[in-house]
Amino acid sequence: MAKEMFLAGCSSAAYGAMLSRVEVISSYPIRPYTGIMMELSKLVANGELDAEFVHGEGEHAQVSIAYGASAAGARAYTGSSGVGVTYAMECYSPAAGGRLPCQMAIADRALDPPGDFGSEHTDVMSARDQGWIMGWAADPQEVLDNTIMYFKIGEDARVLLPQFCCQDGYFVSHIPGKVSIPDQKAVDEYLPPFNNPHPLDPTKPVSHGPQIFPDQGPAIDLQRAQAFIDTPKVIEEAVADFNKQFGRNYDPFLEEYMTDDAEFVFFLQGGHARTARFAVNHLREKGVKAGMVRLRFMRPFPTEAVAESLSKFKAVGTIETSTSYGGAMKGGNLIHEVRSALYDVPNPPPVTSFMAGLGGEVVSLEEFYSMAKVLTQAAKDGKVDQYVYWVNFDKV
Amino acid sequence: MSDVYEITIWARGVVQDMEGRHMTLIMASSADKDGKFVQAWDDYADLPDRVGVPLRKYVRISDEEIEMRYEYENKNPSLVVIMDDTIVKGLNILWGMDKGGVLVVNSKRSPDEILKFIPNKDLLSKIICVDAEEEFSMEGLDFMGSEGGVEVSAVGAGISAVLAGAACHGTDNLTIDSLVAVSANKEGAKAGYESAVVKDL
Repeated sequence: MAKEMFLAGCSSAAYGAMLSRVEVISSYPIRPYTGIMMELSKLVANGELDAEFVHGEGEHAQVSIAYGASAAGARAYTGSSGVGVTYAMECYSPAAGGRLPCQMAIADRALDPPGDFGSEHTDVMSARDQGWIMGWAADPQEVLDNTIMYFKIGEDARVLLPQFCCQDGYFVSHIPGKVSIPDQKAVDEYLPPFNNPHPLDPTKPVSHGPQIFPDQGPAIDLQRAQAFIDTPKVIEEAVADFNKQFGRNYDPFLEEYMTDDAEFVFFLQGGHARTARFAVNHLREKGVKAGMVRLRFMRPFPTEAVAESLSKFKAVGTIETSTSYGGAMKGGNLIHEVRSALYDVPNPPPVTSFMAGLGGEVVSLEEFYSMAKVLTQAAKDGKVDQYVYWVNFDKV
Repeated sequence: MSDVYEITIWARGVVQDMEGRHMTLIMASSADKDGKFVQAWDDYADLPDRVGVPLRKYVRISDEEIEMRYEYENKNPSLVVIMDDTIVKGLNILWGMDKGGVLVVNSKRSPDEILKFIPNKDLLSKIICVDAEEEFSMEGLDFMGSEGGVEVSAVGAGISAVLAGAACHGTDNLTIDSLVAVSANKEGAKAGYESAVVKDL
């Protein structure tokens, strides 16, 4: 029988890792993800989890340990936040290019300057093109579920890619919510042991990541790109199996809330979806036909699903909890992906973006109402006046 | 939003961190058992803690879904619990409280003695003192920081249960029966409820 507990996202991730029977854990402390490693170290010390717990001397070492363990055939788990995520940047491409499906838990945090503990997606969004699967959970339950699901997806022989399993720092990582913890037996049925097809083995030597000639590069890059083209189908299967095994109701790529007759939608990822749902409810009480679409996977980006979903509406506003300084749309990242996905749709809706929740600021109901005003006007006019609105700074 | 009942707990860094967090968890679990919507969490800016620094821990209880879940602090507490009576000096422990609030203090001293140190005591409608160490020694001392980790077993094994038991005199949102049911230290919760010195103001 599954049991229910009050768990913050950090503890929930640790329980997800334990239920996934991770074999090697590499840690290095940084807020807010630290709680995951503290909880895991307790579980190992108490004998509840049989795993090698290794302290890295920094995040670069942490990720190196994790993908090294994965190369040896172990299910490996690591994690970080903020500047720790960017410090390890060199290691992401070797893990992905080596097709080593270790998992890195991210409780996101704003980058310096100034020092800030608050949630912002910029840290790991900066690594979005390194070849890792990436997506955000919206609550502690989804953190646990994604931890298990990501191993299933990443270790699939058609995929073999490492995964950033992300949650918003503090909002999700530090505020306990009710979490249903599945039985170990049920998880074992869902997630078989990791089978690395080419493990490092002294009795059967193989080379991982050797030096190559330049003309060998494109073929290797193409294989990594092809893995991402093949991954959505694996995600669909893994999510469907998970829903069936554990009685959940996840859509593989998008959570849609009150979208059936919505005129405009907020498009976002992560924990602010919770406030967005309340905002949509209150806007509807006032007769405003708002809705919300939440992205569950940033990589692979579900282009077709996003195009199909968002083409139904008269206006779309992306809520950017990350920065893309000097980017095409002058603000965040989501709008680039959304506009690209909608480019070939006949009569696509106008899309604008809102810079909100940066540095861990709470995106309040009032801010959602301000954004709703802009989107109501955009739906009426069939166009947007600005690519980006800085909420509380621009005239929103 | 205004119907959310807010509880703020002040604890000493490291030495009371775990018990303080446990108090939020047993208070929330107890109200959850009574059918309320709840939230229990640590102040994000007070962690990671240093030994002895004042820490804030929070509970929210409501009859409806708590929409303000992501707000970092309780801005309008109706109940404040002080885990070490020396914290009453030098800090505005009643910050944000409206007139009519309740204060619970872990102390050997009497309510009148404690009130001498609280310049804005006119905000209070009730003060509750309980000697939690007398009722239950400081077992459960844990020098690991919490930092997003949430205990799942033996929650409320030490003085947190005693203080939470005493706090049941301060609000209908906490009932002693449910509190005893969710606390590891059941005798402590009962003892706190029974030995509390309650003074209406």
